[in-house]
Amino acid sequence: MITTEFSYQKAGSVDEALRLLAAAPDSALLAGGHSLIPSMKLRVTAASALVDISGVAALKGVSRAGDTFRIGASTTHRDVAESADLRSGSPLLAEVAGVIGDPAVRNRGTIGGSLAHADPAADYPAAIIALGAQIEVAGTSGSRTIAADDFFTGTFETAVAAGEMITAVTVPAATGVAYEKFVHPASGYAVVGVAAVVTVAGGTISSLRVGVTGAGPQALRLTGLESALAGKTADDATLRSACSGLVAAGDLVGDHQASAAYRASLVDTLARRAIARAAARG
Amino acid sequence: MQIDGEDLLDAPIDCVWQALNDPAVLARCVPGVTALVPTGPDAYDAEIKLAIGPLKGTFKGTVRITEQVPPEAMTLTVDGAAPMGGVNAAGRLALETQGTGTLVRWQAEPKLRGTLATVGARLIGPVSKQQTTAFLKAIEAEARQLASSRR
Amino acid sequence: MTTTTKMIGQAIKRREDPKLITGQGQFLDDVKLTGMLHAVVVRSPYAHATIKGIDASKALALPGVVAVFTGEDMSDINPLPCAWAAGKVDNNLNTPRALAVGKAMHVGDGVALVVAEDRYIARDAADLVEVDYEPLAVVVDAKKATEPGAPQLHENAPSNIVMDWECGDREKTDAAIAAAEVTVREQIVNQRLIPTPMETRGSVARYEPATGEFTVWMTSQAPHVMRLLLAAFVFGIPETSVRCISPNIGGGFGQKIFVYADMAFTMWAARKLGRPVKFVEDRAENYQSSTHGRDHITDVEIAGTRDGRITGLRIDTLANLGGYLSTIAPGIPTTLYGRITTGVYKIPAAHCRVRGVYTNTAMVDAYRGAGRPEASYLIERMVDRFAAEIGMDPAEVRRRNFIPPEDFPYSNGMGLLPYDSGNYGPALDRALQIVGYDALRAEQAEARKQGRYLGIGLSSYVEICGVAPSAWIGLPGEGWGAGLWESANVRVHLTGKVVVTTGSLPHGQGLETTFAQIVADELGVPYDDVVVEWGDTSGTPFGFGTYGSRSLAVGGTAIVKTVAKVREKAKLLAAHMLEARVEDIVWEDGKAFVKGSPDQVKTLGDIALQAAVAYSLPEGMEPSLDETTYYDPPNCTFPFGTHVAVVDIDADTGAVSLRRYVAVDDVGTVINPLIVDGQLHGGIAQGVAQALTEGAIYDDDGQLVTGSLLEYAVPKASLFPQFETDRTVTRSPVNPLGVKGAGEAGTIASAQAVMNAVIDALQPFGVKHLQMPATSERVWNAMHGGTRGARS
Repeated sequence: MITTEFSYQKAGSVDEALRLLAAAPDSALLAGGHSLIPSMKLRVTAASALVDISGVAALKGVSRAGDTFRIGASTTHRDVAESADLRSGSPLLAEVAGVIGDPAVRNRGTIGGSLAHADPAADYPAAIIALGAQIEVAGTSGSRTIAADDFFTGTFETAVAAGEMITAVTVPAATGVAYEKFVHPASGYAVVGVAAVVTVAGGTISSLRVGVTGAGPQALRLTGLESALAGKTADDATLRSACSGLVAAGDLVGDHQASAAYRASLVDTLARRAIARAAARG
Repeated sequence: MQIDGEDLLDAPIDCVWQALNDPAVLARCVPGVTALVPTGPDAYDAEIKLAIGPLKGTFKGTVRITEQVPPEAMTLTVDGAAPMGGVNAAGRLALETQGTGTLVRWQAEPKLRGTLATVGARLIGPVSKQQTTAFLKAIEAEARQLASSRR
Repeated sequence: MTTTTKMIGQAIKRREDPKLITGQGQFLDDVKLTGMLHAVVVRSPYAHATIKGIDASKALALPGVVAVFTGEDMSDINPLPCAWAAGKVDNNLNTPRALAVGKAMHVGDGVALVVAEDRYIARDAADLVEVDYEPLAVVVDAKKATEPGAPQLHENAPSNIVMDWECGDREKTDAAIAAAEVTVREQIVNQRLIPTPMETRGSVARYEPATGEFTVWMTSQAPHVMRLLLAAFVFGIPETSVRCISPNIGGGFGQKIFVYADMAFTMWAARKLGRPVKFVEDRAENYQSSTHGRDHITDVEIAGTRDGRITGLRIDTLANLGGYLSTIAPGIPTTLYGRITTGVYKIPAAHCRVRGVYTNTAMVDAYRGAGRPEASYLIERMVDRFAAEIGMDPAEVRRRNFIPPEDFPYSNGMGLLPYDSGNYGPALDRALQIVGYDALRAEQAEARKQGRYLGIGLSSYVEICGVAPSAWIGLPGEGWGAGLWESANVRVHLTGKVVVTTGSLPHGQGLETTFAQIVADELGVPYDDVVVEWGDTSGTPFGFGTYGSRSLAVGGTAIVKTVAKVREKAKLLAAHMLEARVEDIVWEDGKAFVKGSPDQVKTLGDIALQAAVAYSLPEGMEPSLDETTYYDPPNCTFPFGTHVAVVDIDADTGAVSLRRYVAVDDVGTVINPLIVDGQLHGGIAQGVAQALTEGAIYDDDGQLVTGSLLEYAVPKASLFPQFETDRTVTRSPVNPLGVKGAGEAGTIASAQAVMNAVIDALQPFGVKHLQMPATSERVWNAMHGGTRGARS
């Protein structure tokens, strides 16, 4: 497994990274390298210039401002999983980060890298959607923020434009959260993963957001389910009847590991389990 | 894997047909085509630059149009090879007037080979749909232009 | 008399490990020679295609590229040999060449070789070689390959049949089945697996023009055999002009037994270019081009009485052998499968037919267990099917049909040498006792009432170890035409240190430790005084290598017999030194003394020194304590046991979780319990993975969909509970140690234990059989009345 030839430069700042990125055709940002490097070794990706952003301090770490948590784009999955701030105030991302791949992947892979890569079976997208996260991106002409609902635009496609890079993700405080993952036995990716963010007030669901990864060509949000359960109690019977036929198999992906029909059934089961667990916590 | 779909194009059927049979149009519409050189009737040598997520590469191959039933049906076959493997996609297009537009029903069986086949299996369905829709959207724009230039 | 602690039976840690786990091992890729070139193979992306032309001009233009070769360039060497043509396949031996000539037979078939100054340049250049292919019709499924209209892969193999082989008594079996009270029929697929050793394969070849000698470093489980096959069959040169060296090897599981194209093309290129050439495959190449295992489709019928007696077994197997024949491919689904399909049961009438089939897939050959897991899976699934059919507890059906202990040595009528020894009941009883069988059955009944699905699966197995006696495998018709004996040399250095060289080839088994334990006891010397050497055809006598759980029963016995020779000579010399009669010499704890006078003593070191300096030896005695043995075992050994798996099934998703796994094995005498447990743990993991996660998948175009570890599900630690292992010990009468072998038992026993448990759990859904792997989707479909996946 040997990559094609590429140049390597280490950026010291976001501005420098953007400049280097623009300077070469077929350039790519290198963060944890756990998606990029394997595909370069398989030679299905040929980047001629890598811009390493792992040394940009401003892109690292979790900070809290009131009820908002900001996670730098090159924060590793492990640091997200172990962040005391997130675990106490908004534990969904920490829970999700803890079940990504294996320890080696979690020690190197980063949240920004994973989101930019937008693998349709990655874990973060479900949580990003369920949390209604905001993704901060920087470009040579300035910065902007993209809402999670607008972020994933296709298989491996995002709203991040050429020449832009993700700098941070912000999420709100939320404790009624859960992520249910059906793990691919080989890759460790999600065959289906469902994240739920629930607020229960007076015994009934006052707010709910559900994000799904793995099942379809891109991560999706179950808005129909969210409104169907508004004002309902999160008891088993209610959830069972609501979480049935949530997505049509025709809109999903299928392969030798799991057909579209099977994925559809997993969405039902995992959505029910995620909401039940999230409601119990929130 | 068999995939299918339908797209409603906002252009009359004869314009859509004409666009589909024009090499210059195809060169502009088949996603990633950087060169299209006719080699015979309805056959072209093509160079296609693909960039789908992590999959990036230049494919050399052919585009062929066969089984034409003007202006209702045709088969468009794209075969490309790169060091990472190859792609073969034979798409059957069926055209039908619907109102002022054209309904295109399509069926395709995209096949991968080499390394691509081992890493792309779970992506081939959605990516093919994505590419077909992009192709038909481009054809739609071309056909509309044809229609407006005729008026 | 004082006796030091015996080493045999001690659970000492493996002496190999400190080196291997601290990165000090020397593996193939660590071989670096002056002037060494690097080779990369251009491989076919098509499963079946005519090679119309190869244009290497762009590759050759890349600075650093030394040469690009094609199969035609290498036409002066012969195709790789098939050395085990069991079942009369000599008329259509289609084996691979160093590179394909004219046609590619499977995805990953090598069509050109790029040789360059470094591996990076070679890899870049490989992408620049333009090959013009004309794709041909493809067939990947063994059944479809035999049907009319299927693409013909080789002109000399009509219907793609490699061989049509049988064993047992067809007429008697047909009659037994026709007359039976109960018959159960099933189609059972044993899916294709990819062995996946942690280290991939490769070769480094050096040629010395002045002497015409080759040195070849290789990832081989059998370097002596490779030297023979490469020299005598592929290159047609004297065996003495080839030296083969296996350095440390990162796992083999059978995949590293065989002669491979890279051994031939690195040798050829090294000779052609006058510089050493290295080739190391990457994981994708290993998956596409090195051998796979299993891949059987079997129609099977079992017959019996309502009171649980099995009366007949009829088997018809199609064995997918791939696009070419690998080195011992035909022997695996015949000799090592068909002949043991009756398992631990006394079945009065049995017949097994096996047809090997060519398909556009990677070659299939031995993979851990090699034929025996397929046999064991088949009979154990069918015994459960039969038990379910007559409504009897599967444990009871097993008990009623076990070969009784008094029947040993037992001939099963399938053409094997007799089973050496066995006592199957106690292993079953012990396993059921450990797992708490009756309580689990009660829990299962209760759980079903609550909509929870718990399954208990049994597997009582027997297997064939210690391959292989010439009296069996050398017989005409078995196709091997030779006995797989083993060699050992033991020499005692002047200082009393003992060096053992063996033709066995450890690649993860801990043989250095086990063999040293044996020698320590047999010679009465400290364990640390024994060094075990292996792996270099120049430094070890000819041996057949390590596979088929043979190294202890055959290689270990060769050592025991050699030590005995050394001891006898040492006693003779001691008698001379002590001026006593040899009959009066007692050997104990590495010392010789005169009976009744323990102060008249010579240590092994004293004797070895005397033997070496040699100025006063008995009349006619040669100097040195150095003996060699070539040991051809009189029989195989037949380990056995019972494994029990307990699974829980998630009714919503079909996910199977393995709650408990109990293994009671009888591998005969245990030299090192730690190593035996390690072998069993690894073996069980591989078998469980076959049941639950693994399976190589080719699509209809012959593309390997599971061509990477992203798609091919090797097991992870999280799949397993803590294994609960125990043993019974029934000595083998075949060898002086009483050992049977443990390298493959875990794999041979485990897949069916898990599948029987899964199917047992699904009994309320009317499920009678499920093909492996029992993926969540297959189980979910079976629970929801879907047929999808249940049968295919």
